[in-house]
Formats: sequence, C-alpha cells, structure tokens
Amino acid sequence: MNTQALGVEHYLAGMRAALDDLPPHEVAEIMEDVEAHVAELSTELGENETIEQRLGSPEQYAQELRQAAGYPPRTERLPVTTKSGRLTRPRVAAWGLAIATGITLLVAASTLREPVFLLLLPAVILVLSLVLVHDRGPAQAEIMDLPETRRIQQWLTPEEGTPAERAITYLKSLQPAWWLARAGLLGLGAVLLAGRDIPGFLFIAAIAVISVFAGPRAKVDRRWLWFSLPASALAVGLLFQVVDVAANNLAYNTSRQSYPVPSVETYENIYVQDENGKWLTNVLLYDQDGNPINASRQYYGCRGSDPEPMIPANRYPRPKIDYENGTCYTVAPSVSAPSSTPDTPPSSSGSAPSSSVAPTSVSPSK
Amino acid sequence: MDTSQLLKGVLDLAVLAVLRKDDGYGYDVVRRLRAGGLNDVGDASVYGTLRRLYNAGMLTSYVVPSEEGPHRKYYSINETGRARLAESRETWRSFASTLNGLLEEVAA
Repeated sequence: MNTQALGVEHYLAGMRAALDDLPPHEVAEIMEDVEAHVAELSTELGENETIEQRLGSPEQYAQELRQAAGYPPRTERLPVTTKSGRLTRPRVAAWGLAIATGITLLVAASTLREPVFLLLLPAVILVLSLVLVHDRGPAQAEIMDLPETRRIQQWLTPEEGTPAERAITYLKSLQPAWWLARAGLLGLGAVLLAGRDIPGFLFIAAIAVISVFAGPRAKVDRRWLWFSLPASALAVGLLFQVVDVAANNLAYNTSRQSYPVPSVETYENIYVQDENGKWLTNVLLYDQDGNPINASRQYYGCRGSDPEPMIPANRYPRPKIDYENGTCYTVAPSVSAPSSTPDTPPSSSGSAPSSSVAPTSVSPSK
Repeated sequence: MDTSQLLKGVLDLAVLAVLRKDDGYGYDVVRRLRAGGLNDVGDASVYGTLRRLYNAGMLTSYVVPSEEGPHRKYYSINETGRARLAESRETWRSFASTLNGLLEEVAA
C-alpha cells in the first residue's frame, strides 16, 4: 500500500514535470483529472503490477494527452523556475495563508479590547496570497507538493490502526459540527461587538454567515481554505476570550468572598495622635493632590442644610452631629478617641487616652 | 487495420456520446467507451479529449469530494456540446454511408 502510494506520487511528479511548459491553471486542471485516475488505477493493480505497465511512462501519458487535448508539443523550459526554486508563488501563497491565520488568531484573542480593524492586516495578506495562486485550480497541487505541506500531511496521516489515526478519523467526522460551532462562536463575537463597533459587528457577522458555506466548499476547492482557515482561527481566538472573561469573573467572585476589601469601609470621623500620645484637634487632612480628605457624613433626618457649614469638612476630629426630634445639632469635638471604635488609632508610645478623658458624647453613631 | 488511427478523428464524438445521458469523471468515461466496444482507447487520449472539449466550451465540470483519495472531477455536456453531438452524428452517418457504399462497390 505504502509503496504504491509512493509510486503514485512519483508518477504524478513525472507528469507534472512533463507538462510544466503549459499554463499553470491548465496543468492544475489536468492534474486534478490525472490524480483521481492514477489513484483509482493503483487500487486495481495486481500484486506485481505497476502504474507504468498500465499507463506507460509519465512522459508517454503526458505526450498522448497533449496530442488529444490539442496542446502544443513540449517545449524545453529554461531551468529558471526549477522545483528547488525557493520563493515560488505557491510557496509565498502558502506561507501567506499560514501567517495570516496566525495573526488572525492573535488579534481575535484580544478583539474585545483591540479595534477590529486590525483584522484588515490578515485580510489583506489573504487576498494578496490567494491572488498569487487563484489560477492554479481548486486542487492547489503545487502547494500540496511543497515539502512543508507534505510534512504536515504526513503528520496528519498516521499509520492505519494506531490510536492517533483513529483519533484523527474521529475528529474528521466531527467537521460539520465544527463548521456550525465556528459560525456560532463568530456570531457570538459579532454580538459582543454590536454595542460599540458597528463596522466590526457587520464584518464578523458576515464572516460567520459565509463560514457556514465555506466549510463544505473548502473540501472541494482548496482555495476556500483562504477563508475557512482564518475563520477557524478567528473563532478559536474568540473562544479563548470567552473562556478568559468567564475565568476572570469566577476569580473575581471567589476573591470577593474570601478577602474583604478594606477600602470599602467608610469612616465617619478621624482622631489624630502625635508621637507623644497627645490627641490633636483641628487637624486638616489632604491627599497627595492637595484635595481635602472628607470622611462621609450622615445627615439623614436633618431638615435644612448642613448644620455646620462653616467648619471645613476635612477638619478632624469632627463635631458629632446629633439628631433629636427632627432637629440636628452639633456636639463639640472631643479630644479623645472613642474607646469603642473598632479601628482604634495606634497607641504606639503613649498610654491609651481613653481612660483619662471619658468619651462622653463622641461615640460614633452606628 | 489499426483502429487507433481511426479513433483519433472520432473520439470527440464518442466522448460526447457517452456523456449524453449521465455526467462522468475521467475514468468513468474511459470505462463507458471500453464497455461500448472501443477496447483500444487510451486513457490519456480520453483525458486529453475531455480537456479539449471543456476548453472548447462543450463541457462543464464540477468536483465531487471523496472521503478517500483525490476528489473526482465530473464532466457534463452542455447545450453547445449537445448541438455539436447532433451535428457530428449527421456528419458521421453520411460519411459512414458514403464509405459503406464505396466498400460495397469494391466487394461487388
């Protein structure tokens, strides 16, 4: 089986060489017919029969075909564009496809944050590289013949009966499901964009719709891979993003449960002590930008305006505001911190002042 | 007499004839021609003829994917091809009867 496959490849390579003076798209069309022909013949061959015995040499086959098709007789080609040519059009096109697919994956993985127009870069690369090989027919035999493509193919076709082979066969059977999942992911990505980027929404929505048809088409016409592969990369990138957002939400929720955030606590008053443990009054507090630090005040139930509008809100300790029978009045600021305060000011060196001066009316409400 | 020389002139007609009812891929066409009695027809000649008829606008083609092996390209005859088939059939009939007449005279 394997030696026959080798024989088929060898025969086809000989055919291609014998036709290489014809226009590339014509060669591609011929090779599409011939590949199927030789492959089918090779399954009919007897034990020691070769393709050459059935069809003649590749050169004879090519010669007979040229005559019947009315092509001009073979002209010798200058060995300028030999097989070893490094930057042939098929090779550039294949790498263009690979690179554009990679960029699409990267951009898609950050599309909700980055502008969607970054996708225009891979789009331009795809169009340019497809233009290079569009005339080579749906089979893209030259690209399939590149050493790098062959290596991928070998890797994707493990020996029969191995677990790897069964896994790949199974994955191939899931392809139609993937086409639908891909359209779904792309649709989801489009919907997520709809609120803030209408052109991006339309762009991705269009890709989602076309991708449904592109999957089956690409199986027949490899040129559709220039759409289908990047569309898959886009969908996978969006999938990463959905997973990322979901994971972040989960992590945020669990962190909120286990660690109370200190800054959420509100202060109603602040008591300041100097290094000798003496309580200070009339201290003005400012932040690094020079803005007054104002603890929140609660005036619920106070009718009218602020009962102490003349005192700067950042002067501490504040007078306590008491509320009684619908009227608010202030109590003179105490010089000592309330002992019942949960956040006791650090009594680093001095003795606790709470014992010396009784906090008569300063215990913070609530 | 070597029929392959005769065949060359009429292979177009033969190929169009076997595609008249059903579309077929290259090897299909080869098989139909052989089943019809053209045992000497060469594979490569049939494939070349298909390409020529296609390029002349008498056939259209479409690819059918196959799970194993390469895809198959089917050819189907279009209106231009049918017109050519009808025309060639008349030419062939009158030519054949002319030749038959000549051969009868020789035999007589």
